[in-house]
Amino acid sequence: MPPAIHPIDLVDILRRHHLTPAIVFLTSRRGCDEAIDAFINTSASVPASHSEAIRTFLEQFAKDFPSIANHPLIPVVQDYGVAAHHAGHLPSWKMAIEELMRQGLLDAVFATTTLAAGVDFPARTVVISQSSVRKSQDFCDLTVSEIQQLAGRGGRRGKDFVGFVVVTPSPFIDLDILGKGLTGQPESIDSQFVISYPMVLNLLRAHSVDQIEGLLAKSFAQFQLNQRVAVHQERLDDLHEQLQPYGPRECADWVAQWKVFDLARRRKAHRRPIVTNDSPYLTACLPFLTPGRLIGLAKGPAIILRQYRSRGTGTPMLSVLHGKGTVGECQAQRVVHVYDHVYDFHPTRTVPWCPPSTLHQFKQALAQLPAHPPTVPIFEANQEADDPLLAEVLTEEFSCPSCPSYTACKKDFSLASRLRLKEQQVTKTIQALRDGLWHRFQQKADVLHKFGYITAGFQLTPDGEWARMIRINHSLLITELIRMDAFSGIAPEMLAGVMASIAHDDDRPSSYMRLTPGLSSVLGKVRQVADSLRAYEPPPLLRSDVAALAEQWIGQPQLSWASLVKSTSMAEGDVYRLLARTLEFLSQIHTLKGTHPGLADTAHLAMGNMRREVLAELP
Amino acid sequence: MNDDDLNRQLQRLPMKYLHQLAKGRISRHFRLGKRRLIECMLGLPQEHKMALASSLANLSLPSRESVVSPATPQSPSPGKSPSPFYSKATARKSHHTQGPSSPPIQLPELLEGIGVPSPMPFVPDEWQREAVEALAHADVIVSVPTGSGKTFVAIEAIKQAMAANQTVIYTSPLKALSNTKYMEFSQRFGPDQVGILTGDRRDNIHAPLLIMTTEILRNVLYDAASGEIDLRLHTLGLVILDESQYLADPERGVVWEETLILCPSQTRLLLLSASIGNPQELAEWLTSIREIPCRLIRHTKRSVPLRGLYLHPTGQLVPLFEARDIQQKKGYRFHPETKRLFNEYEIKPFR
Repeated sequence: MPPAIHPIDLVDILRRHHLTPAIVFLTSRRGCDEAIDAFINTSASVPASHSEAIRTFLEQFAKDFPSIANHPLIPVVQDYGVAAHHAGHLPSWKMAIEELMRQGLLDAVFATTTLAAGVDFPARTVVISQSSVRKSQDFCDLTVSEIQQLAGRGGRRGKDFVGFVVVTPSPFIDLDILGKGLTGQPESIDSQFVISYPMVLNLLRAHSVDQIEGLLAKSFAQFQLNQRVAVHQERLDDLHEQLQPYGPRECADWVAQWKVFDLARRRKAHRRPIVTNDSPYLTACLPFLTPGRLIGLAKGPAIILRQYRSRGTGTPMLSVLHGKGTVGECQAQRVVHVYDHVYDFHPTRTVPWCPPSTLHQFKQALAQLPAHPPTVPIFEANQEADDPLLAEVLTEEFSCPSCPSYTACKKDFSLASRLRLKEQQVTKTIQALRDGLWHRFQQKADVLHKFGYITAGFQLTPDGEWARMIRINHSLLITELIRMDAFSGIAPEMLAGVMASIAHDDDRPSSYMRLTPGLSSVLGKVRQVADSLRAYEPPPLLRSDVAALAEQWIGQPQLSWASLVKSTSMAEGDVYRLLARTLEFLSQIHTLKGTHPGLADTAHLAMGNMRREVLAELP
Repeated sequence: MNDDDLNRQLQRLPMKYLHQLAKGRISRHFRLGKRRLIECMLGLPQEHKMALASSLANLSLPSRESVVSPATPQSPSPGKSPSPFYSKATARKSHHTQGPSSPPIQLPELLEGIGVPSPMPFVPDEWQREAVEALAHADVIVSVPTGSGKTFVAIEAIKQAMAANQTVIYTSPLKALSNTKYMEFSQRFGPDQVGILTGDRRDNIHAPLLIMTTEILRNVLYDAASGEIDLRLHTLGLVILDESQYLADPERGVVWEETLILCPSQTRLLLLSASIGNPQELAEWLTSIREIPCRLIRHTKRSVPLRGLYLHPTGQLVPLFEARDIQQKKGYRFHPETKRLFNEYEIKPFR
């Protein structure tokens, strides 16, 4: 969000209190540009002599850097003494602004906070209007280091007695963050050691595996890990001390022994029966009370049509056919006899639970029953039945129950096992911290082995020999593409287009440009390869619009920078950075002249075509 | 203070502050109404009541009026979170406040002394001389605030090394900074003395001073390790890594580490960094991996004092802090005027 105060008022107040030159940090590029635009056609201009000095300087500067000679912002800078400075501008323009600032010719520069580190020019005053900054899609609070980096630009040594930080609010600002940032201790820095494929290849080229382990151990990452190891080691020593009283007893490893014993003892607990309120007799009966079973109730014999549990109390219930031919419900516990006879029938889902014909048959069968049909003997299950059995097994297999330290073990087990567990965890953590880097190295090496860049004995294969020269992001994708001859006979502009789309990792929107059919087919292939490598390397964005942009610049040598920039909605500075990065990628391919002369020549041609106008200005 | 006094004072407070006071003293205070809350506070044990009274005295209130009339709305826009000022600053205030402080500074006093010092011969600071001297027998890490003259150390070190006929490599994290330094050093040492290496271009690589990005130096060191090199590494006497705090950059930090690990042992390292929290740790690390010790030069005092101002959207300019110069690690207290204006802004941001 832009500050609540209008940029003209802001600069006016700064001028009135002699607080200029000032750097005004804003969140977005657009904010900077809009602030500058606000000055046009206002009365906030600088004296004529001042304008003249700026004009002379810019003319002089344009002799070295012709790209800024006709910059559209020159009139604003000259008339109002203010400028914008952000990544959307060309490097040469930014250098001009920085130089103007150093000479004290500008009153205010509106800059983005994101590039605070790249802003290498001081001022008397720094204006901060927000406490958070956009970092990849998200707003984060400024860190203390960042705030001090911003504030540090205030006060020029040798040109100022004092410097100033002016805080002016914008929506969502949190003053406390700024207060803490200005006066606090900057954050500690932590190692960000990432092992990349080119790193593995290059290290293996020059060093043996043992030496590499030593090199990794020398990293700041390992240094910081070792400090954590020391902390864990202390904990481990502490745990050892606590475990002291729980040393060997009758058996050497009594904790483990007791653990197994305890588990065996509790074996029954693993299958917990469903809790019901049924009496043991009923529980024993229930398996027999199936549909079709002949039973005896107090009233007389009956046939079970279905068994269910009542919804409310969960009592087992029966639907039965009584001797007089009525269908009724009764509780299962009312069953007096369970007879040893089952009638076969097809149960149905609704009353009367069986087909009417069956009902009729059953009625007849009940009428013809003998007085005392044979009954099923019901045995109640003995609850404690398996306990003596288990006890026998336990005494047979374990010596614990008869061991003299039984009571001691039983008492100490829970504490000792907890300590033991912690000890194991800490030991594991220490091991992981010690070997983490080396494991990550091995993982990368395994992938490289799988693709055939190194042998099983950690030696570079001929492919590995040249692949190590590609030392950029997405190196695996590029070397794989080269190996599968995706670039054979490719035109320089297409190669550049592909490299541009691999190199570009910014997802700022830009306009779609027309791709040539050739480039789009190559890009399609690159996409496939990148997808197939997804498990080993995060795929690049592979945007086709930036590919087309690079292709145009290299394929049409008469195309001017101005018309290239006009054909896209990308900011000038972004186009410049895209091409500069592409140039870097191409130059890496150019280093393969020994093994891939054709490709290296194509890259060289593309580089030659690329270096013109703006791109030839700076080394 | 007796109970009646306390009662009267508490009665006058808006609910927000009552809850603030009750926090940690009365459980589930947020469920209580005003009358009950005050009853509970008065029912606390005597020593707790004393503490309560003292935090009541320390409570910073927006202005006298709002205390006298509790009817003042705390925040006119109900959806808006309360001002961070009273929710955090006051709570934290207790440990930033140490003893009776001097009265807050006034604006004219703060703006005193703006001006341009008359040009005088440059006298290096003690730490700058110390850093250059230490390079004779140790690696050096310089961690000082932005803009206190790290470049001077670099230039003196380069002069020293060049006088001893050694090669110097100067690296920066950004190409743009490399270009700026290239121009600066070319003017200072003469164009034939300075070379620059970029991804695709090598200008004047036999010059005694080479400027490159850290990635390029890492690549050079890779090549040197495998024995294919066209740079004179055996005469490399000094490597200067500017903006070394990039070591903690999530994507590129590893390059700085690799560079430091692979740097030839006869070479001196000069790490220039902005203020970071743990330069000591960095120095210990370098000492542990290199043959010569590493010397840490750090200080937090700026060479040009810095002062804070608060600019209200209406155009009022007031001091930001109660003290005049911004000082590190001493805590901070916002100027009462800043608090008042900022609170006003928080409540009516779009006036």
